[in-house]
Amino acid sequence: MLEHADDPAQKTLEVYRRNGGYQALEKALREMSPADVTEEVVKSGVRGRGGAGFPCGRKWKFVPKTDKPKYLCVNADESEPGTCKDRQIMERDPHQLLEGALLACYAIGAETAYIYVRGEYPHSIAILEKAIEEAREAGLLGKDILGTGFDCDLWVHPGAGAYICGEETSLLTSLEGNRGYPRLRPPFPAVEGLWRCPTIVNNVETISCVTHIIKRGGDWFASLGCEGSTGTRLFCISGHVKRPGVYEFECGKFTMRELLEDFCGGTPSGLPIKGVFPGGSSVQVMTNEELDVRFDIESVQKAGSGLGSAGMMVFDGATSAVDVALNIAEFYSHESCGQCTPCREGSDWIRMLVKRFLDGGAGTSDIDLIHTVANYMDGTTICALADAMAWPMKSLVEKFRPEFEAYVAEKATA
Amino acid sequence: MSKTPTVTLTIDGREVTVPAGMNLVEVARRAGIDIPHYCYHPRLSIAGNCRVCLVEVEGWGKLQIGCNTGASDGMVVFTANERVRAARQGIMELLLINHPLDCTICDQAGECKLQDYAVEHGSGITRFEFEKARKPKNVSWGDRVVFDSERCILCTRCVRFLDEVAGTDEVGIDLRGEKSTLIVKGDGKLTSPYQMNIIDICPVGALTSRDFRFKSRLWFMKFTETICTTCARGCNVVLGSRDDRVLRMVPRYNPAVNDHWMCDHGRLHYAFVNDGERLAAPRVEGRGAPYPVAIERARTILEDAADAGILAVASPFMTNEELFAFQGVLDALGVEQRYFPRPTGEGDDLLVHPEKCPNARGAALAGFTEAPAEWPDREWGALLHFVPREGADLPATLRAQKRILFSLSPRDADVCFPLTTWIEKDGTVISAGDHLQRLTKGITYEPTLITERIVLDRLHAALESGFEGPDTAAQAFARLVAAYPALEGLTWQKVGLSGVPLRLEGAPA
Amino acid sequence: MAAFSPELVARVDELATRYPERKAALVPAMHLIQAERGGWFSDETIRDTAELFDVPDMHVRGMVGFYDMFHSQPVGRHVVRLCKTLACKLRGSDELRAHIREQFGVGNGETTEDGRFTFKCFECLGHCSTAPMMLVDDEKYEDLTVAKLDDVLRGLE
Repeated sequence: MLEHADDPAQKTLEVYRRNGGYQALEKALREMSPADVTEEVVKSGVRGRGGAGFPCGRKWKFVPKTDKPKYLCVNADESEPGTCKDRQIMERDPHQLLEGALLACYAIGAETAYIYVRGEYPHSIAILEKAIEEAREAGLLGKDILGTGFDCDLWVHPGAGAYICGEETSLLTSLEGNRGYPRLRPPFPAVEGLWRCPTIVNNVETISCVTHIIKRGGDWFASLGCEGSTGTRLFCISGHVKRPGVYEFECGKFTMRELLEDFCGGTPSGLPIKGVFPGGSSVQVMTNEELDVRFDIESVQKAGSGLGSAGMMVFDGATSAVDVALNIAEFYSHESCGQCTPCREGSDWIRMLVKRFLDGGAGTSDIDLIHTVANYMDGTTICALADAMAWPMKSLVEKFRPEFEAYVAEKATA
Repeated sequence: MSKTPTVTLTIDGREVTVPAGMNLVEVARRAGIDIPHYCYHPRLSIAGNCRVCLVEVEGWGKLQIGCNTGASDGMVVFTANERVRAARQGIMELLLINHPLDCTICDQAGECKLQDYAVEHGSGITRFEFEKARKPKNVSWGDRVVFDSERCILCTRCVRFLDEVAGTDEVGIDLRGEKSTLIVKGDGKLTSPYQMNIIDICPVGALTSRDFRFKSRLWFMKFTETICTTCARGCNVVLGSRDDRVLRMVPRYNPAVNDHWMCDHGRLHYAFVNDGERLAAPRVEGRGAPYPVAIERARTILEDAADAGILAVASPFMTNEELFAFQGVLDALGVEQRYFPRPTGEGDDLLVHPEKCPNARGAALAGFTEAPAEWPDREWGALLHFVPREGADLPATLRAQKRILFSLSPRDADVCFPLTTWIEKDGTVISAGDHLQRLTKGITYEPTLITERIVLDRLHAALESGFEGPDTAAQAFARLVAAYPALEGLTWQKVGLSGVPLRLEGAPA
Repeated sequence: MAAFSPELVARVDELATRYPERKAALVPAMHLIQAERGGWFSDETIRDTAELFDVPDMHVRGMVGFYDMFHSQPVGRHVVRLCKTLACKLRGSDELRAHIREQFGVGNGETTEDGRFTFKCFECLGHCSTAPMMLVDDEKYEDLTVAKLDDVLRGLE
């Protein structure tokens, strides 16, 4: 996906095509049926790269046969802490995304796709809109694409600053012109999404993979990576590493330690890594002892965490785990939409509890209380934001308990 | 129409058969189990945000909210096992951490679902040691509803009611997360004539009645199940009183009449009971007189006026039993001119009926005719008139040598009997749709007052020797049943608190 | 209602054609409206927006209150959004925040006295591997140092 990303001209249609762009679209429209396209995607084993990791082809198959219009939404709301990969595609190789979106629309029978880009990505929005215009002028978008009779329109739709809108049902509610409240399921978006019509929501990177899958085949994609995590993925590494950045790798070819200490050069301070959030902040934190795990979805899950969005944040031995906990707690508390009780009340309570450790006044029982409140939130809410807070918070107080206890002792004597 | 398919499932070990897809809160209700809930309401769309109705469905992994889970065949549901209880206790604790300690000044106390569930399902302690969230309090949403944002649990029942039932879509949510709070559109004042229903459905004290504010604690009140008599709808209500003062009315569920709701106008229309100018005893020629004296005086006037003609005007606020007794008096006198006024006004497509009286149908059934637009130009020997509570009075030009009136407030007449209001007596009325409903006595305005039915029966006895009126409400009703074929087979018990449908012919629409 | 510029109304009408329901154009339109109305949503602007979309004013108010990029209070000539979330924090955003407080006298949500900029702490802005970063209006500044940040902010007019 990042093959040509370093060329600033790659975002133009001319250079994109020169580098092999829109060949997959031609092949699909002229030689394949929509079902064929879906089958290739199923064969590829590609899983959602937004964080949930749901098999993409299987999701597409949930779209029922109906006369109602169908929609594709590309989730470009990228707001998971530690995640900056979708922006690479949008800003540096946008046509790859457009082509993938057209292919997806063709497969599911949609004539309209919206790319929901977070409002804080003005560059991505501008670049995408320019690319869309270029594609439209070249007959790659709109009515009768490439003279094949396939109609499809792509539009950029901006968000306005709400992490929750990355949750697929919240995205739909926001796109319809409302406050971004997630919806109860069932019904699922593939059956009832935008304006009660079947809608598929896919992450930017997932859709971009589709372009390559159709160009070079599902089998080719499945031959890369490893079982359960086929193909390549964009990994974002940030925080205390010498060489932070966004890199494209095959999954499962190395351990987390190899990635962080070898490839990324370890910590700038030279201190050992203390903790890592491997998949954005919505996963359990992993300690240094746990880093010898192969970096793919199944392996990380077995190790008690998650690959999530592959937005890795690393902190070193000089960082206070309690500081980290407060930062994470503030994030979720600020971003909670407030619709349901456990998240609305629990997120802020946890924030205040963690803060008290730093301000002084916390007791040892507060460590268990954080754990208890996180459990109240885990699995009891309308959407997964509460779980996304519960997992890191629980793991932080579990794995770094002594640090919390030290604050209690320290402030007690101060 | 095909029957809805049914399914059989097990809930807390009990097997029940219910329509397929029925939500588990209703399924549990049928099985006699109460799953606690706030945001769920059978008449409103599902919000699923309070999370209090979480239950375990075997094999389903995470706990599920009962209100949004439909019954399917073979389902096994647990509403009170340890896992569910623990989760519920957690939700209760979270609901209470920012809830203000307002119980001592909150009108909801005693009918507060937060109190009830906290006691039943909560842990009994709080571990929250921080300052609770501060939000707007005592916000007037107009002159009827008071909003307290700190107490609000954001269940959105009020939002959904005003949108889906009242059709005014006037409450929304502002801000996000913990700061979320309700706002009203436009100038901040609610416009719906049904807005006070949100007070009833608000499970906590976030929405309270300005009219009832601080009047009384619930446990000092007496509650009477009766109906509203402001229009022909006859919405079922629970009337709350204390020391024989009416304090408030709230709607009572009746799927055949008013469902769960009533209009604000009817709800607030009771001040005249205790605070209006009222007669406490009969008057003869402007001076107080005991009942026997007044009745005797009325008898002589009526017997003397028989030749010159008697005009009888009943009121559509009278009960069927009163109308029947009146009928009896008029039959004994041979009066043919029997009328009743029918005040009308604006209706709507929800509950408000254009007929602004509770028993026009009853008056018609008892043989009274709707009053003409123009009264015949003559002088009557006597006018026997039940002054209606609402609506236009008889024209001043109507000439009668003698006047016998039944009135709430003192009036100029030869004999004036006091009226009792609908909450001071038992009786029946025929509401819109020909639905027969009961009034229940709830207060005594003045212990010496005698209801109109008994006064009329005593007058009848004075006119016709050997006549004896019935004693109890049930007996008075039985007398009606004997006389009207439309009531065949009914008893006072059978009419009950929800009323019964009648099939009447020729009754006003 | 005070009128929006004809250009804005035309643009909104055009945006609305992208969706089967006009209301879906609300967020894109609100960005344009906010820019035209001094960078924030006054009560009047909320009412005007509501009228333009035939929705209750409380709906628009609720949108302003829900989304971080919409302002319900007046803002300075520029809006500075500094990311405070973990990756940026680990690379020094706390110090940058303290510097802003010290040198420019503003905390989260506050506007400088000369009205040059409003400072807002934002959650993850998606530039984690080039942390710390900030957005100044539509411009991004990555790999910030105190010096670089200072330079940029002093250069604002």
